[in-house]
Amino acid sequence: MSSTRRCLVVMGLLGAAWPLAAHHSASMFDDTKLVELSGTVKALQWTNPHIWLQVMIDDTEWSLEGGSPNSLSRQGWRSTTFKSGDEVTVRLRPMKDGTPAGQFVGAKFAGDGRTVGRWE
Amino acid sequence: MSRVSLATPIAAVALVLSGAASLPAATARAQAPAALPDWSGVWAMDGPTIFDGASVQPPNGRSGQPGVREFPPYTEEWEAIYRRNIELVEQGLFPDPISACGLPHGFPRIMNVPDVYEFAVTRGAVYILAENGPGIMRIYTDGRAHPPAEELWATYTGASVGRWEGDTLVFTTISLKGASGNDVIVDRTGLVLSDASRATTRMRKIDDSTIEAQMTIEDDKALTKPWQVTKRYKKQPAGTWAWDYSCGENNRNPVTSSGRTLTLGPDGQPLDRVTE
Repeated sequence: MSSTRRCLVVMGLLGAAWPLAAHHSASMFDDTKLVELSGTVKALQWTNPHIWLQVMIDDTEWSLEGGSPNSLSRQGWRSTTFKSGDEVTVRLRPMKDGTPAGQFVGAKFAGDGRTVGRWE
Repeated sequence: MSRVSLATPIAAVALVLSGAASLPAATARAQAPAALPDWSGVWAMDGPTIFDGASVQPPNGRSGQPGVREFPPYTEEWEAIYRRNIELVEQGLFPDPISACGLPHGFPRIMNVPDVYEFAVTRGAVYILAENGPGIMRIYTDGRAHPPAEELWATYTGASVGRWEGDTLVFTTISLKGASGNDVIVDRTGLVLSDASRATTRMRKIDDSTIEAQMTIEDDKALTKPWQVTKRYKKQPAGTWAWDYSCGENNRNPVTSSGRTLTLGPDGQPLDRVTE
Protein backbone atom coordinates (compact mmCIF):
# COMPACT_ATOMS: atom_id res chain seq x y z
CA MET A 1 0.00 0.00 0.00
CA SER A 2 1.60 3.21 -1.10
CA SER A 3 0.12 5.28 1.65
CA THR A 4 -1.14 4.40 5.04
CA ARG A 5 -3.63 6.12 7.20
CA ARG A 6 -4.30 5.95 10.85
CA CYS A 7 -7.36 7.03 12.71
CA LEU A 8 -8.49 6.61 16.25
CA VAL A 9 -12.12 5.74 16.76
CA VAL A 10 -13.24 6.03 20.34
CA MET A 11 -16.20 3.78 20.97
CA GLY A 12 -16.61 3.66 24.72
CA LEU A 13 -19.07 0.82 24.86
CA LEU A 14 -17.15 -1.56 22.66
CA GLY A 15 -15.47 -2.96 25.72
CA ALA A 16 -18.64 -4.88 26.44
CA ALA A 17 -17.69 -7.39 23.79
CA TRP A 18 -14.34 -9.16 23.95
CA PRO A 19 -13.32 -10.43 20.55
CA LEU A 20 -11.30 -13.42 21.71
CA ALA A 21 -10.83 -15.81 24.57
CA ALA A 22 -7.25 -15.35 25.64
CA HIS A 23 -5.12 -17.67 27.75
CA HIS A 24 -3.93 -14.61 29.66
CA SER A 25 -5.14 -11.42 31.23
CA ALA A 26 -6.20 -8.86 28.65
CA SER A 27 -5.40 -5.97 30.95
CA MET A 28 -2.77 -4.61 28.58
CA PHE A 29 -5.39 -3.77 25.95
CA ASP A 30 -7.54 -0.64 26.03
CA ASP A 31 -11.02 -1.97 25.45
CA THR A 32 -12.50 1.53 25.27
CA LYS A 33 -10.71 2.28 22.01
CA LEU A 34 -10.85 0.90 18.53
CA VAL A 35 -7.97 1.84 16.26
CA GLU A 36 -8.03 1.47 12.50
CA LEU A 37 -4.77 1.19 10.60
CA SER A 38 -3.82 0.42 7.02
CA GLY A 39 -0.67 -1.35 6.00
CA THR A 40 0.92 -4.45 4.58
CA VAL A 41 0.89 -7.92 6.11
CA LYS A 42 4.36 -9.12 6.99
CA ALA A 43 3.40 -12.51 8.43
CA LEU A 44 0.69 -14.52 10.10
CA GLN A 45 1.90 -16.67 12.96
CA TRP A 46 -0.67 -19.48 12.94
CA THR A 47 0.23 -20.84 16.35
CA ASN A 48 -1.24 -21.63 19.74
CA PRO A 49 -2.16 -20.25 22.14
CA HIS A 50 -2.81 -17.23 19.89
CA ILE A 51 -2.35 -16.28 16.29
CA TRP A 52 -0.34 -13.13 15.67
CA LEU A 53 -0.78 -10.94 12.63
CA GLN A 54 2.32 -8.89 11.93
CA VAL A 55 1.51 -5.79 9.90
CA MET A 56 3.85 -3.08 8.67
CA ILE A 57 2.31 0.35 9.21
CA ASP A 58 4.57 2.90 7.57
CA ASP A 59 7.94 1.72 8.86
CA THR A 60 6.67 0.23 12.11
CA GLU A 61 5.82 -3.43 12.67
CA TRP A 62 2.59 -3.95 14.61
CA SER A 63 1.74 -7.18 16.44
CA LEU A 64 -1.95 -8.02 16.53
CA GLU A 65 -3.05 -10.84 18.76
CA GLY A 66 -6.00 -13.00 17.77
CA GLY A 67 -7.68 -16.11 19.11
CA SER A 68 -6.34 -19.62 18.93
CA PRO A 69 -5.97 -21.23 15.51
CA ASN A 70 -8.26 -23.93 16.84
CA SER A 71 -11.20 -21.62 17.46
CA LEU A 72 -10.50 -19.43 14.44
CA SER A 73 -10.36 -22.44 12.11
CA ARG A 74 -13.84 -23.35 13.30
CA GLN A 75 -14.91 -19.82 12.36
CA GLY A 76 -13.61 -20.23 8.84
CA TRP A 77 -10.11 -18.87 9.15
CA ARG A 78 -7.25 -20.75 7.53
CA SER A 79 -3.52 -20.57 8.01
CA THR A 80 -3.46 -18.87 4.61
CA THR A 81 -6.14 -16.27 5.38
CA PHE A 82 -3.44 -13.60 5.52
CA LYS A 83 -0.40 -13.77 3.29
CA SER A 84 2.75 -11.73 3.30
CA GLY A 85 2.21 -8.69 1.08
CA ASP A 86 -1.56 -8.48 1.55
CA GLU A 87 -2.70 -4.90 1.81
CA VAL A 88 -5.20 -4.56 4.60
CA THR A 89 -6.97 -2.22 6.93
CA VAL A 90 -7.07 -3.65 10.42
CA ARG A 91 -9.07 -2.75 13.51
CA LEU A 92 -7.66 -3.42 16.92
CA ARG A 93 -7.88 -2.57 20.58
CA PRO A 94 -4.54 -0.92 21.22
CA MET A 95 -2.06 -1.46 24.02
CA LYS A 96 -2.65 0.96 26.87
CA ASP A 97 1.00 1.97 26.90
CA GLY A 98 1.00 3.00 23.24
CA THR A 99 3.34 0.34 21.98
CA PRO A 100 2.67 -0.93 18.44
CA ALA A 101 0.50 -3.91 19.31
CA GLY A 102 -3.09 -4.71 20.09
CA GLN A 103 -5.94 -7.14 20.17
CA PHE A 104 -7.14 -8.02 16.68
CA VAL A 105 -10.77 -7.16 16.02
CA GLY A 106 -11.19 -7.31 12.25
CA ALA A 107 -9.58 -6.70 8.88
CA LYS A 108 -10.57 -5.63 5.39
CA PHE A 109 -8.53 -6.55 2.36
CA ALA A 110 -7.75 -3.65 0.03
CA GLY A 111 -7.80 -5.81 -3.07
CA ASP A 112 -11.24 -7.39 -3.02
CA GLY A 113 -12.89 -5.83 0.00
CA ARG A 114 -13.18 -9.11 1.88
CA THR A 115 -13.50 -8.79 5.63
CA VAL A 116 -12.30 -11.07 8.40
CA GLY A 117 -13.36 -10.96 12.02
CA ARG A 118 -15.67 -8.21 13.23
CA TRP A 119 -16.23 -5.54 10.66
CA GLU A 120 -19.68 -4.04 11.03
CA MET B 1 -10.91 -83.75 29.89
CA SER B 2 -14.50 -82.81 30.32
CA ARG B 3 -16.12 -79.81 28.67
CA VAL B 4 -16.37 -78.16 32.05
CA SER B 5 -12.67 -78.39 32.70
CA LEU B 6 -11.99 -76.81 29.31
CA ALA B 7 -14.42 -73.98 29.76
CA THR B 8 -13.14 -72.91 33.15
CA PRO B 9 -9.62 -71.86 32.10
CA ILE B 10 -10.99 -70.18 28.98
CA ALA B 11 -13.34 -68.14 31.11
CA ALA B 12 -10.52 -67.29 33.48
CA VAL B 13 -8.33 -66.10 30.58
CA ALA B 14 -11.19 -64.00 29.28
CA LEU B 15 -11.60 -62.39 32.67
CA VAL B 16 -7.90 -61.60 32.90
CA LEU B 17 -7.81 -60.17 29.39
CA SER B 18 -10.78 -57.97 30.15
CA GLY B 19 -9.14 -56.78 33.32
CA ALA B 20 -12.17 -57.75 35.34
CA ALA B 21 -10.35 -60.39 37.39
CA SER B 22 -7.95 -57.83 38.83
CA LEU B 23 -10.57 -55.23 39.78
CA PRO B 24 -12.46 -55.00 43.04
CA ALA B 25 -15.88 -56.55 43.33
CA ALA B 26 -17.51 -53.14 43.18
CA THR B 27 -16.53 -52.96 39.51
CA ALA B 28 -19.48 -55.19 38.79
CA ARG B 29 -21.70 -52.15 39.33
CA ALA B 30 -20.28 -50.34 36.30
CA GLN B 31 -22.98 -49.45 33.80
CA ALA B 32 -23.52 -51.73 30.83
CA PRO B 33 -22.44 -49.96 27.63
CA ALA B 34 -25.92 -50.11 26.12
CA ALA B 35 -27.31 -48.13 29.04
CA LEU B 36 -24.82 -45.30 28.82
CA PRO B 37 -26.02 -41.97 27.40
CA ASP B 38 -24.74 -40.68 24.08
CA TRP B 39 -22.60 -37.63 24.78
CA SER B 40 -20.66 -38.01 21.55
CA GLY B 41 -19.65 -35.04 19.45
CA VAL B 42 -17.91 -31.77 20.15
CA TRP B 43 -19.34 -29.28 22.62
CA ALA B 44 -18.69 -25.69 23.65
CA MET B 45 -19.57 -23.90 26.85
CA ASP B 46 -22.62 -21.69 26.52
CA GLY B 47 -21.68 -18.14 27.46
CA PRO B 48 -18.51 -16.39 28.52
CA THR B 49 -15.94 -17.61 31.02
CA ILE B 50 -17.68 -16.18 34.05
CA PHE B 51 -17.95 -19.10 36.44
CA ASP B 52 -21.20 -18.10 38.15
CA GLY B 53 -23.21 -16.28 35.52
CA ALA B 54 -26.21 -16.24 37.83
CA SER B 55 -24.58 -13.88 40.31
CA VAL B 56 -22.20 -11.81 38.19
CA GLN B 57 -22.38 -8.04 38.49
CA PRO B 58 -22.77 -6.08 36.37
CA PRO B 59 -25.02 -8.47 34.44
CA ASN B 60 -23.19 -9.85 31.41
CA GLY B 61 -19.88 -8.68 32.85
CA ARG B 62 -16.87 -10.45 31.39
CA SER B 63 -14.16 -12.23 33.29
CA GLY B 64 -11.07 -10.06 33.58
CA GLN B 65 -12.84 -6.75 33.04
CA PRO B 66 -12.30 -4.37 35.95
CA GLY B 67 -15.29 -4.02 38.23
CA VAL B 68 -16.80 -7.39 37.42
CA ARG B 69 -17.44 -9.83 40.24
CA GLU B 70 -19.57 -12.76 41.35
CA PHE B 71 -21.11 -13.42 44.73
CA PRO B 72 -20.19 -16.81 46.13
CA PRO B 73 -21.21 -17.27 49.79
CA TYR B 74 -17.73 -16.41 50.99
CA THR B 75 -16.64 -16.19 54.59
CA GLU B 76 -15.40 -12.74 55.61
CA GLU B 77 -11.80 -13.89 55.26
CA TRP B 78 -12.29 -15.19 51.72
CA GLU B 79 -14.43 -12.24 50.68
CA ALA B 80 -11.44 -10.10 51.65
CA ILE B 81 -9.17 -12.33 49.55
CA TYR B 82 -11.54 -11.97 46.60
CA ARG B 83 -11.65 -8.18 47.03
CA ARG B 84 -7.86 -8.03 46.99
CA ASN B 85 -7.82 -10.09 43.82
CA ILE B 86 -10.41 -7.77 42.26
CA GLU B 87 -8.15 -4.82 43.06
CA LEU B 88 -5.27 -6.62 41.37
CA VAL B 89 -7.46 -7.19 38.30
CA GLU B 90 -8.12 -3.45 38.20
CA GLN B 91 -4.37 -2.80 38.39
CA GLY B 92 -3.62 -5.35 35.68
CA LEU B 93 -1.68 -7.40 38.20
CA PHE B 94 -3.84 -10.51 38.57
CA PRO B 95 -2.14 -13.01 36.29
CA ASP B 96 -3.85 -16.09 35.00
CA PRO B 97 -1.82 -19.10 36.19
CA ILE B 98 -2.34 -20.85 32.86
CA SER B 99 -0.49 -18.03 31.10
CA ALA B 100 2.71 -19.78 32.12
CA CYS B 101 1.68 -22.63 29.79
CA GLY B 102 1.96 -25.97 31.50
CA LEU B 103 -0.37 -25.66 34.46
CA PRO B 104 -3.85 -27.15 34.12
CA HIS B 105 -7.00 -25.19 34.80
CA GLY B 106 -7.96 -27.48 37.65
CA PHE B 107 -11.46 -28.17 38.88
CA PRO B 108 -13.95 -26.51 38.86
CA ARG B 109 -12.38 -24.14 36.34
CA ILE B 110 -12.08 -26.90 33.76
CA MET B 111 -15.87 -26.68 33.48
CA ASN B 112 -15.52 -23.00 32.56
CA VAL B 113 -13.06 -22.72 29.69
CA PRO B 114 -13.31 -21.45 26.11
CA ASP B 115 -12.85 -23.46 22.92
CA VAL B 116 -14.45 -26.90 22.79
CA TYR B 117 -15.02 -29.99 24.89
CA GLU B 118 -15.48 -33.69 24.34
CA PHE B 119 -17.14 -35.90 26.93
CA ALA B 120 -15.95 -39.47 26.58
CA VAL B 121 -18.40 -41.82 28.26
CA THR B 122 -17.03 -45.30 28.79
CA ARG B 123 -18.19 -48.22 30.86
CA GLY B 124 -15.95 -47.52 33.81
CA ALA B 125 -15.12 -43.83 33.53
CA VAL B 126 -16.11 -40.53 32.00
CA TYR B 127 -13.38 -38.27 30.66
CA ILE B 128 -13.88 -34.54 30.28
CA LEU B 129 -11.54 -33.41 27.53
CA ALA B 130 -11.13 -29.66 27.28
CA GLU B 131 -9.33 -28.57 24.14
CA ASN B 132 -8.16 -25.40 25.89
CA GLY B 133 -5.29 -25.97 28.22
CA PRO B 134 -5.48 -28.78 27.22
CA GLY B 135 -7.37 -30.17 30.18
CA ILE B 136 -8.34 -33.69 31.18
CA MET B 137 -10.58 -34.71 34.05
CA ARG B 138 -11.16 -38.35 34.95
CA ILE B 139 -14.33 -39.46 36.69
CA TYR B 140 -14.32 -43.13 37.62
CA THR B 141 -17.72 -44.79 37.48
CA ASP B 142 -16.62 -48.40 38.01
CA GLY B 143 -17.91 -48.48 41.55
CA ARG B 144 -14.70 -47.57 43.32
CA ALA B 145 -14.66 -45.24 46.28
CA HIS B 146 -12.32 -42.29 46.77
CA PRO B 147 -8.90 -43.41 47.94
CA PRO B 148 -8.37 -43.25 51.70
CA ALA B 149 -7.01 -39.94 52.94
CA GLU B 150 -3.50 -41.28 53.47
CA GLU B 151 -3.28 -42.17 49.77
CA LEU B 152 -4.38 -38.75 48.53
CA TRP B 153 -2.56 -35.51 47.89
CA ALA B 154 -4.04 -32.29 46.64
CA THR B 155 -4.08 -31.99 42.86
CA TYR B 156 -5.45 -29.58 40.28
CA THR B 157 -8.46 -31.68 39.27
CA GLY B 158 -8.61 -33.75 42.45
CA ALA B 159 -10.08 -37.24 42.67
CA SER B 160 -13.53 -37.89 41.24
CA VAL B 161 -15.77 -40.92 41.51
CA GLY B 162 -19.30 -41.14 40.24
CA ARG B 163 -22.29 -43.22 39.37
CA TRP B 164 -25.09 -43.12 36.86
CA GLU B 165 -28.57 -42.27 38.08
CA GLY B 166 -30.44 -43.07 34.90
CA ASP B 167 -29.04 -40.64 32.34
CA THR B 168 -27.46 -38.40 34.97
CA LEU B 169 -23.80 -38.67 35.91
CA VAL B 170 -23.39 -37.85 39.58
CA PHE B 171 -19.83 -37.45 40.77
CA THR B 172 -17.99 -36.10 43.76
CA THR B 173 -14.63 -34.41 43.58
CA ILE B 174 -12.24 -34.12 46.52
CA SER B 175 -8.55 -33.53 47.18
CA LEU B 176 -8.26 -30.25 45.28
CA LYS B 177 -5.34 -27.81 45.50
CA GLY B 178 -7.57 -24.77 45.36
CA ALA B 179 -5.61 -21.56 45.88
CA SER B 180 -3.15 -23.16 48.31
CA GLY B 181 -0.29 -23.02 45.83
CA ASN B 182 -1.40 -19.71 44.31
CA ASP B 183 -1.61 -21.41 40.94
CA VAL B 184 -5.31 -22.25 40.62
CA ILE B 185 -8.10 -19.75 40.07
CA VAL B 186 -11.75 -20.28 39.21
CA ASP B 187 -11.99 -17.39 36.82
CA ARG B 188 -10.27 -14.12 35.97
CA THR B 189 -12.49 -11.94 38.11
CA GLY B 190 -10.19 -13.13 40.91
CA LEU B 191 -12.45 -15.94 42.08
CA VAL B 192 -10.66 -18.63 44.11
CA LEU B 193 -11.50 -21.55 46.40
CA SER B 194 -9.49 -23.19 49.15
CA ASP B 195 -7.85 -26.57 49.40
CA ALA B 196 -10.85 -27.65 51.48
CA SER B 197 -13.15 -27.31 48.48
CA ARG B 198 -15.06 -30.30 47.18
CA ALA B 199 -18.01 -30.65 44.88
CA THR B 200 -20.88 -32.84 43.87
CA THR B 201 -21.74 -32.49 40.20
CA ARG B 202 -24.85 -33.69 38.43
CA MET B 203 -24.36 -33.82 34.70
CA ARG B 204 -26.89 -34.81 32.08
CA LYS B 205 -28.11 -34.10 28.60
CA ILE B 206 -31.16 -31.89 28.95
CA ASP B 207 -31.94 -31.95 25.24
CA ASP B 208 -30.28 -33.24 22.09
CA SER B 209 -27.96 -30.24 21.86
CA THR B 210 -27.32 -29.35 25.50
CA ILE B 211 -25.41 -30.95 28.35
CA GLU B 212 -25.88 -29.37 31.75
CA ALA B 213 -23.58 -29.62 34.77
CA GLN B 214 -24.97 -28.58 38.13
CA MET B 215 -22.18 -28.20 40.66
CA THR B 216 -22.72 -27.94 44.38
CA ILE B 217 -19.48 -26.69 45.85
CA GLU B 218 -18.66 -26.92 49.53
CA ASP B 219 -15.63 -25.36 51.15
CA ASP B 220 -15.27 -25.38 54.93
CA LYS B 221 -12.62 -22.64 54.76
CA ALA B 222 -13.93 -20.30 52.09
CA LEU B 223 -17.73 -20.70 52.01
CA THR B 224 -20.45 -20.26 54.59
CA LYS B 225 -22.83 -22.61 52.77
CA PRO B 226 -22.91 -24.76 49.63
CA TRP B 227 -22.57 -22.80 46.42
CA GLN B 228 -24.56 -23.98 43.42
CA VAL B 229 -23.37 -23.16 39.94
CA THR B 230 -24.78 -24.43 36.65
CA LYS B 231 -22.86 -24.57 33.38
CA ARG B 232 -24.22 -25.62 30.01
CA TYR B 233 -22.49 -26.92 26.91
CA LYS B 234 -23.92 -26.72 23.40
CA LYS B 235 -23.32 -29.36 20.77
CA GLN B 236 -21.32 -28.11 17.82
CA PRO B 237 -22.20 -28.95 14.22
CA ALA B 238 -21.61 -32.54 13.16
CA GLY B 239 -18.08 -33.04 11.94
CA THR B 240 -16.59 -30.30 14.13
CA TRP B 241 -12.98 -31.00 15.01
CA ALA B 242 -11.22 -30.53 18.31
CA TRP B 243 -7.54 -29.87 17.76
CA ASP B 244 -4.22 -30.12 19.48
CA TYR B 245 -3.63 -27.09 21.70
CA SER B 246 -0.08 -26.51 22.78
CA CYS B 247 0.02 -23.40 24.93
CA GLY B 248 3.80 -23.31 24.87
CA GLU B 249 4.06 -23.34 21.08
CA ASN B 250 4.29 -19.57 20.75
CA ASN B 251 3.45 -17.94 24.06
CA ARG B 252 4.06 -14.24 23.59
CA ASN B 253 2.46 -13.31 26.90
CA PRO B 254 4.76 -14.23 29.79
CA VAL B 255 4.06 -12.97 33.30
CA THR B 256 6.56 -10.93 35.33
CA SER B 257 7.37 -11.62 38.97
CA SER B 258 5.02 -8.81 39.96
CA GLY B 259 2.12 -10.38 38.10
CA ARG B 260 2.07 -8.15 35.04
CA THR B 261 1.33 -9.91 31.76
CA LEU B 262 3.71 -8.83 29.03
CA THR B 263 3.35 -8.78 25.27
CA LEU B 264 6.36 -9.93 23.29
CA GLY B 265 7.26 -8.83 19.81
CA PRO B 266 8.08 -11.34 17.06
CA ASP B 267 11.71 -11.20 18.17
CA GLY B 268 10.79 -12.43 21.64
CA GLN B 269 11.52 -9.11 23.32
CA PRO B 270 8.86 -7.32 25.40
CA LEU B 271 6.98 -4.61 23.57
CA ASP B 272 5.64 -3.18 26.83
CA ARG B 273 7.05 -0.02 28.29
CA VAL B 274 7.66 -1.83 31.57
CA THR B 275 11.13 -2.20 32.98
CA GLU B 276 10.48 -4.55 35.91
